[in-house]
Amino acid sequence: MAAIEQTSGSHGELREILGHVVREPLGLAGLIIVSLIVLSAVFADWIVPYDPIALNIKDRLQGPSAAHWLGADQLGRDTLSRVIMGGRVALQVALPTIAGAMTIGLTLGMIAGFGPRWLDNLILLLFDTVRSFPTVMFALAVVALVGPSLETVVLVIMATSAPTYGRVSRTQTLQLKNSEFLLAERAMGASTPRILLVHLLPNVLGPLAVLAAMDIPTVVGLEAGLSFLGMGVRPPTPSWGSLLNDGYTLIRNTPWLIIAGGIPLILTTLGFTFLGETLRDVIDPKLRARKGER
Amino acid sequence: MLAYALKRLSLAALICLVAVTILFIIIHAVPGDPVSIMLGPRATPEMKALLTSKMSLDKPLPVQISVFFGNLLRGDLGTDIFSNRPVATIVFEQVPYTLALILTSITWSAVLGILLGCYAAVRPNSLGDRLAAVLSVSFIAAPAFVVALYSLLVFAVWLKWFPAIGAGEQGDLLDQLKHLVLPSFAIGLSWVGYIARLVRASMLEVMGELHIRTARAFGLPERWITFRYALRLAILPTITVIGVGMGFLLSAAVFAEIVFARPGLGKLVIDSITTRNYPVVMGSVLVSTILFVLATTLSDLANAALDPRIRKSL
Amino acid sequence: MAGPLLDIRNLSVHYRTPRGDIKALRQVNLAIPPGQIVGVVGESGCGKSTLISAVLRLMSPNARVAEGRIGFKDQDLLVLSEARMRALRGKEISIVFQDPMQAHNPVLTIGRQMADIQYRDGTSEPEKRRRAAAMLGQVGIPDPELRLDQYPHEFSGGMRQRIAIAMALMARPALLIADEPTTALDATLEVQVIHKLKALQADYGCSILFISHHLGVIAELCDEVVVMYAGEVVEQGSVRDLFHAPQHPYTRRLLECDPGRIKERTRTLPTIPGEVPDLAALPRGCVFRERCTDAIERCATEHPAWRTLSDGHHAACHVAGQAADTKQ
Repeated sequence: MAAIEQTSGSHGELREILGHVVREPLGLAGLIIVSLIVLSAVFADWIVPYDPIALNIKDRLQGPSAAHWLGADQLGRDTLSRVIMGGRVALQVALPTIAGAMTIGLTLGMIAGFGPRWLDNLILLLFDTVRSFPTVMFALAVVALVGPSLETVVLVIMATSAPTYGRVSRTQTLQLKNSEFLLAERAMGASTPRILLVHLLPNVLGPLAVLAAMDIPTVVGLEAGLSFLGMGVRPPTPSWGSLLNDGYTLIRNTPWLIIAGGIPLILTTLGFTFLGETLRDVIDPKLRARKGER
Repeated sequence: MLAYALKRLSLAALICLVAVTILFIIIHAVPGDPVSIMLGPRATPEMKALLTSKMSLDKPLPVQISVFFGNLLRGDLGTDIFSNRPVATIVFEQVPYTLALILTSITWSAVLGILLGCYAAVRPNSLGDRLAAVLSVSFIAAPAFVVALYSLLVFAVWLKWFPAIGAGEQGDLLDQLKHLVLPSFAIGLSWVGYIARLVRASMLEVMGELHIRTARAFGLPERWITFRYALRLAILPTITVIGVGMGFLLSAAVFAEIVFARPGLGKLVIDSITTRNYPVVMGSVLVSTILFVLATTLSDLANAALDPRIRKSL
Repeated sequence: MAGPLLDIRNLSVHYRTPRGDIKALRQVNLAIPPGQIVGVVGESGCGKSTLISAVLRLMSPNARVAEGRIGFKDQDLLVLSEARMRALRGKEISIVFQDPMQAHNPVLTIGRQMADIQYRDGTSEPEKRRRAAAMLGQVGIPDPELRLDQYPHEFSGGMRQRIAIAMALMARPALLIADEPTTALDATLEVQVIHKLKALQADYGCSILFISHHLGVIAELCDEVVVMYAGEVVEQGSVRDLFHAPQHPYTRRLLECDPGRIKERTRTLPTIPGEVPDLAALPRGCVFRERCTDAIERCATEHPAWRTLSDGHHAACHVAGQAADTKQ
């Protein structure tokens, strides 16, 4: 009887994937950048030269110097420290958001794929509708009502990202639902939750993981954008977006704020995108090869 | 074709209906009294009472719902609390600016993207192809508003090649075009990448198919094969992507309008949020959602017009 | 023009792969006289596809012609410029492919595609349409005028194959290549298509290179048969010679295994045990030796030469010509 193998799991396989990734120049670059960002986010407290939210009015609007490598903003706060801390904030928003979106999407998608037709249609309609809202507009509408905050941003992005995961999860579920293997299992009396958890889940996680990796730059960019508009993270918490906002208002005379705020953002999105793309290119043919074996 | 069009349009209407319902639910699910939220802490009881009755907030929920939908169908999106002008008018005054921005962006990025994609597909793995691939990925990665900020910095502030603010003089087309260059460049840039990659991948797939081999075996000229036979098929997923792209562009336009201080839906929403002008916010979001649904519907219809196989299914 | 229409001499084609060179065709000799139907028989991997792509000069980028000549009307196709080769394709040489469901562009009408292949004729659009409709009628498509405006997915498999034949014969080519045109069709359809093809060939007088592994069809349609195995031609002769007095052990085994020729009822169908050798690592001597029941010592060390057994009947085998006539 043909077996649906797990798509992820053993250490050997992870190492194999990693090996493929570093062999690609873009993948290697992405991996390095991502590692740097993650490390600086984790160890932010130890590597910041100044307290990111400490005011220091006498230093205000200083250009880059020995004391302040990236200069200081209009309240005298050290830009470099804010940039480093901003990285942590970015990841603090992105990771729970994606985790949440993936969970919601995964669950709804599996239900849609496995359940009765009317439920499938209903969930699909929900997905299509949520995806019809231009994301930023929708976020703005919610923010208008409940006020800007980190939590709001996380929840809104979670809600608007979930349908994408949902669709993929549903497609995988539908494919597997009709496969002979699953029919055989059910003929042997396996219960629905068991089928979902033990057989469906591992196979759905693979494509979803790739999707999540590609989603991180989008979410990071979205959070930064909303903070830039003043609709996201509240001051004094440093966010790359709010840094850019400060920089924008001062753009004519003090361009280093914009440069300092934008470059880490671009680097982060580039790094994750390179990594995600390479991961997808590596995992996709493997998935296809496995499917051919069945 | 007609049957398909009708089905697709009714689906679009259904989605709009559900979207509106969701917005309605969100408005009313918010904790607190919407009227106080809207009017702010300095509202007098008389102002609150007036607004409450104007928005029928004192009636039972079913009545509110039917009033809401009834108004919608008549095109009434409510009234602006400050100026007393109909929200619909205010919103639709701004729509043309945003539309101009979006349409310009998608046009240049689609044309450039398709050409780049075709080029890369007929010369796969060449230096040009690999360069284009790296550039595409990079363009896709950078968030639109950062690109907007940097274009502002470099081209408007430092080089002074293009204006930094506004949409240009009314009636002066050239001036308006000049004002469109930087914003549409900023938000279109990531789309060039997307579209180029998609076209390249689709073309490579199509070129490998058997019917292309047949066309070659019949001695058809290579240019015919690329454009008339292969691109015709490969373009279909791109059309869908462009439709979906309109939604992203609507979001990106918000940033472009703020960065370049352009009038439009985005600026309207941001300003209205700052002034707590609730009905205008909701009206704008609603209109932009409907525009998006329209865009995806149009792209699906275009697909069906080009691909006879789609018309058989929905 | 005297001599064969298509004259393949000593053709060897290799594919460059990371594993090494795959020698897909080795010193293949094949001649098609004008107005004759030559069948090519062989199992998967025998080199039929490579042969076709070589004649059309539409080989994959990693293919390399190591030696040989493909003579067509006194030209060597292998040395022609691409432009001149393209002029021949669809005009002097045309092809019907195996899978009718994938042969046509799905988003263009049949009429459009049939008009497009007439682009060299310089005729008007209505004239092209008229010719296309006439051709559709010839292959037995009802209401051809109407059907020109339909799309491929609106036709059944059998009809699509007929359309493919119509397209291939529309330019009155000198040589039609038919790559297993009936493999994807069921038996009744197969019979119809073969009869149609025979009738059209009689009308137009073109030569046909007919590739198939269906021996019954070969027997009915072809004048001459060529048997290929693992990139080599192992036997060639008239239909009569090959089916009544096959000399190469492979040919004999093929005939034995053909379900259509089995007279006794058995529970198991005969097969040829073993597998085709790895074309990147060929054995010494005869390429069929490992699966051959008549092999002698010489077969393992010396590659058999192409021998003439009787008039028009040739084989590459050390033991051929020594076995008695085997009548089934």
